[in-house]
Amino acid sequence: MLLATYDLWAFVSENWRELLDGLGNTLKVSAVAVLGAFLIGALLGAARAHRMPVVSQLTAVYVEVIRNTPILVQIFLIFYALPQFGILLNQFTVAWLSVMIWGGAFNSENFRAGFEAVPYRFREAGYALGFGRRATFLNVTLPIGARIALPSSINTYISVIKNTSLMYVIGYAELTTTAINISNLTLETLEALTVLGVVYLTLVWSLSAGIRVLEARLALPESR
Amino acid sequence: MPEWVGPVARYILEEGLPGTLRVSSVAVVGSALIGVVFGTLITIKFLPLQAFLRAYIEIFRGLPILVTVFIVYFGLPSISPSFEFAPLTCASIALILWGSAQVAEATRGAVQSIPHEQHEAAAALGFGWAGRHYSVILPQALRRLLPPFVSLLVNIIQNSTLAQTIGGLEILGAGARQSERLTSFPPAGIGEIHAAEIFAGVAVLFFLISFPLTRLAAMLEKRLA
Repeated sequence: MLLATYDLWAFVSENWRELLDGLGNTLKVSAVAVLGAFLIGALLGAARAHRMPVVSQLTAVYVEVIRNTPILVQIFLIFYALPQFGILLNQFTVAWLSVMIWGGAFNSENFRAGFEAVPYRFREAGYALGFGRRATFLNVTLPIGARIALPSSINTYISVIKNTSLMYVIGYAELTTTAINISNLTLETLEALTVLGVVYLTLVWSLSAGIRVLEARLALPESR
Repeated sequence: MPEWVGPVARYILEEGLPGTLRVSSVAVVGSALIGVVFGTLITIKFLPLQAFLRAYIEIFRGLPILVTVFIVYFGLPSISPSFEFAPLTCASIALILWGSAQVAEATRGAVQSIPHEQHEAAAALGFGWAGRHYSVILPQALRRLLPPFVSLLVNIIQNSTLAQTIGGLEILGAGARQSERLTSFPPAGIGEIHAAEIFAGVAVLFFLISFPLTRLAAMLEKRLA
């Protein structure tokens, strides 16, 4: 019935400012969260791969807790439960914090696997050249392990971007919230859903294509 | 234990848990059936079919699942009123669209990993395409698909919480309703905020369901590797 009045162009031309703001917020939250997830992943992944006492075990607990609970429940805990302890965070902070914590857990597994895949003889070569443990990590394990971990970590970042849509539940005006709110007012449901689909698929597909390009370019000489 | 805990826990376990289990079981069975069929069909070298299945897989794997939930819940009814479903049904449909795309991609990989000799041997024994896949190829491919199936189950159980966003009554939805009820004045509530305890309880419940399954997936992966 509403199909007859479907007018994507009218919807976009009337609401492009709000939609662009929404997309901007999606990208802002994603950028902060992806950067944080990269740092968490590299640090905790290194701690796990090198079996650092205490940190390694705590990381394992962190990863299992995040992996085995729904991200929506994690968002609810940060948004509704923290205020009970006097911790009031604004929506933007809840948005990047929750997807960063989620992405960091998955990413530390990516990096752990990447670092563990670096052959031990490479590290031995570093020690033989007189590098200390830290210098060996920074000059040998990190550059090689991070390359091995790159495809899986980009997949995690793609999931982080997709998960920012869940900020709908806390009313943060990222793309999904913005589009659904507009459609609630104008009843242009199908147009709003089309915009969401096109924008998310463009983001996700171009990043997936990027993985393939990077994989080819950053492949280790041995496997080339 | 405070007096409010009993009724809240009972509501989550008696009203919420069945909702989660219903959505998850329907979604897992639907995803597995459709996914295995699509994943097998895409190995046939017939371009229009391959293009359609590739588009299906890439679209539903690429969209945030929440957007797929909204497409089913808000989008379908505005195409035709006969496509209007209850929130939990919408969540199941959305999860089947996403899950079947995941399974199809995994199945394609598993089917193509079966050596070509198996196809030839089956063909030599007089099997047609269908019989060959049903009796020879898929039984071997499905063994390799076992660990991803368990991971899929975990993902579907966790993503069934998306039903909460459209008003479905599952574990998280039940917890949210109770947390809201407690904040209202007596006799409905007790005028207190217990969001932290309730959502922590919900998280623990999901952990108790998921953790054994992720262990199982890891174990299967090691054994079948």
